[in-house]
Formats: sequence, C-alpha cells, structure tokens
Amino acid sequence: MISRTLLVYIAMRTVIFFITLLTAFTFVFFLLKAMPTNAVENIIASMTAQGQVYDPKALIALRKSLYELFGLTGSVMEQYFKYLYRFFVMDYGPSIIAFPTPAKDIIMNRLPWTIGLLGFSTVIAWVVGNIIGTLTAFFEGSRISKLLESVAVVIYPIPYYIMALILVYLFAFLIPIFPLTGGAGIISGQFTIEVIVDLIRRSMLPALSIIITGALGWWFLSSRTLTINVLSEDFSVYAELRGLPRTHILRKYVLKNILLPQVTALGLSLGMIFSGALLTEIIFAYPGLGELMYRAVSTGDYATAIGVLSFSILGVATATYILDIIYPLIDPRVRYR
Amino acid sequence: MIATSKRLLSFIKKYVINVGKELYTVYSRNLKFKVGFTLFIAMIILGLFSLFSPPWYKSWYGIPKDKPPSLTSIHMLLGTSSNGRSIFWMITNGILNSIVISLITAVVASHIGLFMGITAGVKGGLVDKLLMFITDSFIVIPGLPLLIVLTMLFKEYLTIPALGLMISITSWPWPSRQVRAIVLSLRERDFMVTARLSGIGTGKIILTEMMPHLLGWHFINATNTVLYAIATEAGLAVVGLSILSEDTLGTIIYWALNYAALYRGIWWWIVPPIIMLVALFVSLYLISTGYTEYLNPRFRRR
Repeated sequence: MISRTLLVYIAMRTVIFFITLLTAFTFVFFLLKAMPTNAVENIIASMTAQGQVYDPKALIALRKSLYELFGLTGSVMEQYFKYLYRFFVMDYGPSIIAFPTPAKDIIMNRLPWTIGLLGFSTVIAWVVGNIIGTLTAFFEGSRISKLLESVAVVIYPIPYYIMALILVYLFAFLIPIFPLTGGAGIISGQFTIEVIVDLIRRSMLPALSIIITGALGWWFLSSRTLTINVLSEDFSVYAELRGLPRTHILRKYVLKNILLPQVTALGLSLGMIFSGALLTEIIFAYPGLGELMYRAVSTGDYATAIGVLSFSILGVATATYILDIIYPLIDPRVRYR
Repeated sequence: MIATSKRLLSFIKKYVINVGKELYTVYSRNLKFKVGFTLFIAMIILGLFSLFSPPWYKSWYGIPKDKPPSLTSIHMLLGTSSNGRSIFWMITNGILNSIVISLITAVVASHIGLFMGITAGVKGGLVDKLLMFITDSFIVIPGLPLLIVLTMLFKEYLTIPALGLMISITSWPWPSRQVRAIVLSLRERDFMVTARLSGIGTGKIILTEMMPHLLGWHFINATNTVLYAIATEAGLAVVGLSILSEDTLGTIIYWALNYAALYRGIWWWIVPPIIMLVALFVSLYLISTGYTEYLNPRFRRR
C-alpha cells in the first residue's frame, strides 16, 4: 500500500536529488571556467606535436567536447547549458588515453572493478568491525578488549593508503606471498577457474588494506560507542537486573539498537566508494576508476578525469537519495515527512 | 581608532588567555588529550628544527647518496636519499610544511564552517534552508576526485598556501553542519531566552552567550580539519599530485617510492616519513577525542 504522504516524500526527495546534482555540477563548471589558460588548445597541440596522425573527425569531436566541457563556446548561458547537458547524459567526448574511444566507455569498463573491490571490502570491513566492536564493548574490561581498543586508537587515524604501503612492504617484499599488482590477469577476457583464483589473489592486498583500516578503525570504534550507549540505557540496566541471560541482552537489546545506525552508515559508505580508496588502486595498479583517473591526470586527459569526477558525484548523490527513501522503511521511529 | 584597536587587543588577549586556561584544564584532566597534545608539540618542535637547515639542503648529491643512518653528523642522522639529500632535513622540513598546509586549511575551513553554521542556526527559516542546501551539495561532491582534478587544472600555480586553500574547499561542510546542530540546541536553552528577552542584540548574544559553548567544538572541528588536511595532502602527494619540488611528508614518500626505496632496502628513506605521519595522525586524533570526552561526558570511559 502506497500512501499519499509516501508519494509526496519520494517526489520531494527526487526534486532535491536533482537540485543537489545541479548545484554540484554548477560548482564544477565555475572551477573549470577558472582555469587560467586555454587548456584545450594546449592538449590538442601537444597531441598533434607528438607526430602521430589522428583521424581528423575524431580530433574535431575532441575539440568540440572539450570546448563545451570547459565552457568556451557561445554566450555564458549557452556554455552553461551545453556543459550541463554533457554532464547529465554523461557524454564527455573522446578520451585521450585511448584516443578515439569515448571517455564514458572507458569509465564504464573500469566501473565493475572499482565496485567489485570496494563494495566487497567495505561490506567485509563492516561485518568484522561491528562484530569485534560490539563484543569488546560487551565484555568491557577484559584484557583483549583493552588491547583491541588501543590498537584501534592507533589504526583509526591511519589513512588506508599508508596501510596499503605497509602491507606492500610486508607481504609483497618481506614475505612475498602476494603479487604486487592487482587484476592484470583478466585482460584476456576469459573467466576460467585459474583466472578467477588469480584475480582473488591479486585483489587480496588492496582489499586487505581497506578492510583493516575500516574494520579496526571506524566500524570498530562506532559500534563500540553505540553498544556502550545502549548498555547504559535504563532498559538494558533493567534487563540485567531482571537476570536475563547475557546472550539474550546482546541479541535482543543491543544488536537491534545498533544495527539501525550502522546499516545507514554502511549505505553511505557504499555510496562513497567512488571517492574512497582511489589511492589504493593507484598504489596497487588495480584497474579501477582511481587508477584510470590517475592515468588521465598524468597524461592530461581532462575528459576522462572530469568524467570520473562527475561519476563519483553521481554515485554519492544516488546513494544518499536511495538511503533517504528506504530509511523510513527500516526505522519505524522515522516517518516520511 | 586607538580606542577600537585597544579594545580589539584586549579582546584578543582575553581570548588567548581563556583558550590557554581551557586547554590547560583539559590537559590536566584527560589522559588522551595530554598524550596527544604532548606528541603534537613534540612534532612541531621537530618541525621547527628545519629553521636551522643548511642552505644546501635542497640540492642534490651534496653529500654521499644511499648512506644508512649514522651518528657521525646531524646531516647523516637519518641517512641520505638516492639523490644525495639528508633525510633528517627533509623530514623536519616535511613536518613543518605539512603542518603549515593543514593549519591554513584548519583556519580557513573551520572558520567558514563556524560562520555558516552560526548564521544558519541563528537566522533559521529560509536562510538556514539555503545555507544547509549549499552545504549538502558540497558534501555530495567527493573530496578526493575533486582535488585531483583541481591539482590537474592548477598544477603550475600550486604553492603551499594555495594547496592549503584548495583543501579547504572540501573540508568546510562538516564543521558547518556540526556548528549548526549545536547552535540549534543552544537556541532553545533558558539562558538564551533570558538574554533575548532582556534586549541584548543578536551580535552580542552570539559573542557572549553562544561562543563560550561553541569554542570547544570549534577547537575539535579545527583539530579534525588539521587531521583531514594532512591526510589529504599526503594522499595527493603519495601519488605525485602535490608540490613535488617542496618537501612535505607525502612528497618524501612519493620520491622514495619513485626511486623504489622499498625494494632496494633503503628503509631509512621511506620509514621515517610514514612514522611521522602516523605519529601526527595519532596525536591529532587523541587531541580531538580527548577534548570530546571532556566536553561530552557521555563519551567518557566508565
């Protein structure tokens, strides 16, 4: 049954979603406009200066798309709308890394890699971190809890890319059990068992670096704090006074209360995977969006770089939007307003 | 003119003394804050050593290359890099530059956040909605990809202050949201109603009634911004997107990686910057959680 309030709520959220995107894209537009030199002519000049012969039609398309992305043709309003149009239909023109291939296609090729690695490791980190965090708060005062807590205080502020460097040093150099680069074996396109095993082995280190910092960092600390808060509520104290078994309190009182905010946070961080962990991919040469962006930046491929940026804006905005819509379904305390 | 400047001076003096007193109270009461603060001060002192760095510290091959740490002279204290530079001086300069970048970000971003948050919270209504909408739109823009595109666009114009300002673009929305939430809860308190009913102007209410409650959170926000800025700059630098000709902790790691220091066993080039970064992160994190525990007893350990 869909009520009227629900429909109004969804409609409102959809409008806000589009306005947010519009605002974010507008901001990027002004940034690109602030670019001091005419980057486009520089790019094309440096491309043709290398002496290679390009398909003139593709070059013209490149020039046109870049001019529109940077807002260089027509009146200001015209520039703005052309730019917005390209952003909303995700047409960033031909890329330079793989010249006449559109930037959008390259990004689409890389997308499953990033979603696979980061989605997987985010979920694993969430599960592990929440289990450890809840248990340490539940058995507060035991030696293992104290140890884990001090470990978390050190690990939490360490960025994942530093963890990645440490892991590379430990497991690819000192004890070489993992290969250095991720995902290179797949290029052939065949999915036999060997290829998949190789893929997992190659993705292990990048995934580990995200899982360790996530699980022992934020998820551990937040679930621990939440559990401590729930345990100090009156109803938990009363449950304990009634002599309910500890496992019962853990399952029925603590878990039910901490899962809610944690699921929300999981949804948000899944949306953030497009902006997160880009650096891990670069360090491990993992063929995802982050590595693509890095290569785009180092070759001066503005179309691809801007494409990845607008993709990540879309990703985060969409995740927030979906979360806002389903949140009242999970949490009976929140009503559609 | 003289009267106003005198008043301003006395205000700043009072502000500094109050902040000092407050910090001292937290310092003596909270262990986490104490450890973090001491560590951070130690890092700053280490960074200030860079003021004594010899004029040739930036030049290559001034001293033998790839030498392990030895106690023979201060230049060799942490060994030398593959391009013959003293790692000790690189590290001290790197710490100072990293801290300067992040302090610029902290001062700019946390004050934009404070201003936006107070305005939104106090004015309410349409202004609040508009400001929060802008803030939310900025939260939607993912920080790292945006900064990568920015460093790409402004590569030739990057200086240390410019980098600090650039990182500010992505780091003001969270403080702004938080300050607004606190202002909203302050607005409903009894003493605010009393102040308003006794006819004190909005400006004075903000300065005398709200600021004392906000300052602690402002301090925490600033600390977190410092942490975020150091992490972001180092992240950009590690993949070579910062000012590579200057020493920051991140660029030292970049050059060490670039010369494959990790695989050639030149650990004294890559380990010190990583340790310094971790020490900075841990100290700032301890400062911010220690202060939060002091302000909000709910987070205090039972």
